[in-house]
Amino acid sequence: MTDSAMSSQSKRWPQFAAMLLMTALAVGCNTSEVAEEADPDVENAPPETEAATTTDEVETGTGTLQLVANGEDFVRQGFTTKDGWDITFDRVLVTLANVEAHQTEPPYDPDSDDELQAIETITLVAAPETIDLAAGDAEAEPILVSEEDVPGGQYNALSWDVVVAESGEAEGAAIALFGQASKDGRTLDFALRLDEPLSYTCGEFVGDERKGIVKADANANVEATLHFDHIFGDAELAADDELNAGALGFEPLAALAEGDTVEADSARLAAELDAAAYEQLTAAIASLGHVGEGHCKLN
Amino acid sequence: MKRSRFGCPWLALLLLSGALPAQAHGSNVQFRTTEAIEIQAQFDSGTPMSEAQVTVYAPDDPATPWLQGITDERGHFTFTPDPARAGNWEVKVRQAGHGDIISVPVGELASETVIAQTHAADSTSAATTAEPTDSTPAATTAEQPALIARADWSGSAYTPLQKWLMAASGLWGFIGTALFFTRRKG
Repeated sequence: MTDSAMSSQSKRWPQFAAMLLMTALAVGCNTSEVAEEADPDVENAPPETEAATTTDEVETGTGTLQLVANGEDFVRQGFTTKDGWDITFDRVLVTLANVEAHQTEPPYDPDSDDELQAIETITLVAAPETIDLAAGDAEAEPILVSEEDVPGGQYNALSWDVVVAESGEAEGAAIALFGQASKDGRTLDFALRLDEPLSYTCGEFVGDERKGIVKADANANVEATLHFDHIFGDAELAADDELNAGALGFEPLAALAEGDTVEADSARLAAELDAAAYEQLTAAIASLGHVGEGHCKLN
Repeated sequence: MKRSRFGCPWLALLLLSGALPAQAHGSNVQFRTTEAIEIQAQFDSGTPMSEAQVTVYAPDDPATPWLQGITDERGHFTFTPDPARAGNWEVKVRQAGHGDIISVPVGELASETVIAQTHAADSTSAATTAEPTDSTPAATTAEQPALIARADWSGSAYTPLQKWLMAASGLWGFIGTALFFTRRKG
């Protein structure tokens, strides 16, 4: 190799060094961004546990999917409203229809504008079916509505309607509430018949456990949950809690009592509650539908 | 995203010099950089869901919690998913009867930067909506939680800038080499 060739070669080394530096910078910038975003105080290391249920297990075979409806402890055990009325329910009749469980990909988010994209849909209730959410004792399980044999998989979305009953005690009402309300030594029997139909599309159940995961030859369930504290409020929460701020309470209904009885359907409520209270009531009714603590979109 | 003015040079220096463990008196302290998912949990009023229960599920085992913890006082929770388990990582956050779940695609399904959000920040309460409309984001009068997952999770992928720089570096290498040998022959 001549001196001039060696000199020429040596002049090229800065170019190769620059190329290496550019590559290093490209990789380094990406890594540093993430390291700075992570808060070391809450960084959580992955556990070293073996998977108990694999996706392959879930997606093969056929299992049983149940639909349960849940009015929660408010309905089963009673509660105190935001304005101090102690409520107990004899019957809480809700008429469900068009209940479908879905496997969605991507997972459906009811808080977004995205459409539900189902890769599997199972009809759990087609024709209207009236159920009593207050059935059973204070410790009763949620009400079993229906069950179907279904392909395995994760049913991570639920759509359902509440429709006006065409027969039975709830005839003419989508939701009918019967019970007693007591305050300061006064007890009122109430019968409220709400005829506003509702239609919800919900994401995944949110609660103590994960629901809707159907494995071969096993049972799983999905849950339609109704939050009646949205109508009446909850004395256990602060008065300025958003739930109580949006709730009607019972006092406006007690004002409609004739003797010791409050009987009202939607028409009477619309006519005799003041406009703000009726608006509050209809908004609260519209917000009843959930999947556990998970959200639903009102269609 | 906030960037440190010094982050890139420091990383470049480490890559060129090699990252070595710091050792003294038998102790062994090492570091590694990771790519993490940060969850931000707040009510739609903007109040952080502080000290809320967090449960993370891996995509290949949806029934078994992969990780459990609590949010910090700002409602933040950060974890590093197993890159070998590609798919939707799902994170459930619950506090005092409020809950939400968010799905964060990781790995093969992930884009280079993922921002997932379960609740529109400008959502309005149905309490002020007498007649529900299509624009009603969620039916509720109660305070609802909102989760935001922010991740610079790229798996084996790189950002467009990084890809461009690497491609330019490679191209310059070819050109430089060709020029080098062309000049030598001349």
